Amino acid sequence: MSDMLLQIKNLYAGTSDNKKEIIKGLNLNIRAGEIHAIMGPNGAGKSTLSYVLAGKHDYEVTSGEIVFKEKNLLQLAPNERAAEGLFLCMQYPVAIPGVTTNVFLKHSINAQRKYKGLSELDAAEFLKLIRSKANEFDISPDMLKREMNVGFSGGEKKRLEILQLSLLQPNLAILDEADSGLDIDALRMVAEGVNKWHNQNNSLLIITHHLDLLNYIKPDFVHIYADGHIVKSGSKELAVDLEAKGYKSYLEE
Amino acid sequence: MGLLQNINLWGDDIPYLSGLREKSRISFEKNGLPNMKNEAWRFSYIREENLQNPIIDVEPVECDGHCHKSKSLPFDAIKIEYCNGKLHTENQNLPKGIMIKSLVEAIYDGDVKPYLNKSFAGDDFPFAALNGVYLEQGAFILIEKETILSTPVYIKYYNHADKNRLCNIRNLVVMEHGAKATIIEHFCGEEKAVYTQNTVNEIYVGNNAELRHYIWQNEAKSAHHIALNSIQIKADGRYFAFCANGGCMFSRHESYIRLLQEGASAEVNGLYKLTTENQVCDITTNIRHLAAHTYSNQLVKGVAKVKAKGVFQGQIHIAPNAQQSEGHQLHRALLLHNEAEINCKPELEVFADDVKCSHGASSGDLDKEQIFYMQSRGISKEDACSILVDAYLNEVFSLNKDSNISEWIKADF
Repeated sequence: MSDMLLQIKNLYAGTSDNKKEIIKGLNLNIRAGEIHAIMGPNGAGKSTLSYVLAGKHDYEVTSGEIVFKEKNLLQLAPNERAAEGLFLCMQYPVAIPGVTTNVFLKHSINAQRKYKGLSELDAAEFLKLIRSKANEFDISPDMLKREMNVGFSGGEKKRLEILQLSLLQPNLAILDEADSGLDIDALRMVAEGVNKWHNQNNSLLIITHHLDLLNYIKPDFVHIYADGHIVKSGSKELAVDLEAKGYKSYLEE
Repeated sequence: MGLLQNINLWGDDIPYLSGLREKSRISFEKNGLPNMKNEAWRFSYIREENLQNPIIDVEPVECDGHCHKSKSLPFDAIKIEYCNGKLHTENQNLPKGIMIKSLVEAIYDGDVKPYLNKSFAGDDFPFAALNGVYLEQGAFILIEKETILSTPVYIKYYNHADKNRLCNIRNLVVMEHGAKATIIEHFCGEEKAVYTQNTVNEIYVGNNAELRHYIWQNEAKSAHHIALNSIQIKADGRYFAFCANGGCMFSRHESYIRLLQEGASAEVNGLYKLTTENQVCDITTNIRHLAAHTYSNQLVKGVAKVKAKGVFQGQIHIAPNAQQSEGHQLHRALLLHNEAEINCKPELEVFADDVKCSHGASSGDLDKEQIFYMQSRGISKEDACSILVDAYLNEVFSLNKDSNISEWIKADF
């Protein structure tokens, strides 16, 4: 099917050091333009899923398949996955001391352009682009001169993640607990940024354990995730039902 | 042939000079080259055979001149150039307040007696003693009182590959009270050259004078480099040094600093990068706080990309009368190869009770979380590592007060 963006088939994965299995038989299909939400209790392995998709070094896939844009995702290095159009908006963005935000963003944009066979942006072109985008997300030029994520508040870090989403224009964004630690205003800003980016070609996978974000970004599908796989799938109403009953009732089913 | 060779040097008939050479010879004969039993050299001793029989070249330099025509520097400079260990004299219009003479000329004129061979004991510094045996090549730089020199002095050392030479150079720098100047030393050589560069700088910083000293050691890959900077600083005098060690098979950069009077301060920062298999790079400092209210600070960072050895030895000595002094030191190393070796030896000798002192040392690999974060934005692992290494080194570059000089070194480091 041509509009299929991501297919996860019977995936088993875990940590590579102690071989602990965390994802156990996960199946998920995401088509172009769809918004999916995966909800699950703390410790269910939701973040593991986002790291496995992004290709983090300390996770290992033991069996199963992930197809992204008709390519075998598991054969691609993390930077290749990113350049192919997969973006992980991290729960805890990492600080990079000694590298200013501007320099970091220029490196990442140009690395992806290079991968796609496009010419790299020169300093002037980059500045023009970053200035217009930064304005959109209320990010000051001073913030861009600071070292990447060093001493940034939780809200600033998330704003910067969304700025990157908007700059890099991926096809699939994974928001890993994007709402954690955010006040209402910051949460709204994140949601607005995501909604602006989302269109009929771009898909979204929201990983969360409560409803806050889903009030601002409306999912087409909600999946309840427990013990390493999806126990129930449904529409937005499932999330509302979940909030009323709690995870426990679904886990016991 | 050995390192002690009987050759005729200029001024053997001047008793003062031949006396200094003889004194150095006695010292070198007694102590020889340092070996692993010598505490100050145990991590980075060098055997005579490794130097591969260098000659003391007394022939005049026949050079087409391309070596000493500096690749255009991105800043104006007063130039002093050595080719194959010999000083090139070139007429240039010097700004007011600076005097530069060849060492020979300065000895002849009698300018050097209070300074030459006065700042260290040959018995403590074997290579400096060897340097003294052949005392002849060098420059005498005097910055007159209250002179603010806006143009830096650029000293370039270049060696050709035609012969294996032992180049002994002695520079004297005298900063009179209130003088301010910047000196840049740039060591380099023809790609395949094998030689031993053995430099001694004796530096005298007067009352309230300030010297900024940049050292860019980018010697030829198979070269050996030994440098002693012996520095005395008087009341409120300030010495700032930055050395970047990038080249060479074996290098040792040693700073022997005495804060003689109240208010004297020294900042010594350094970088080293090990990129050639079996390379050895040593940065050794000995900072002696000999008066109250003196200050010193050191930040040295290294990165080892191959099986090679980095050494940092930092001694801070605080004399009993040096109350209310501060001495700080930090060494960090990045080990990017399984067989890379870093030796760090901090030594604090504190004899005063009202002081602030600190030292720290760490070594480790690049942060995997940072690499993954960068990869997740499309940057390849290789590029991420190189960006992170640059960022790591940049901390030391960013302490340099002359950004044009700093950027010039960084571009090639």
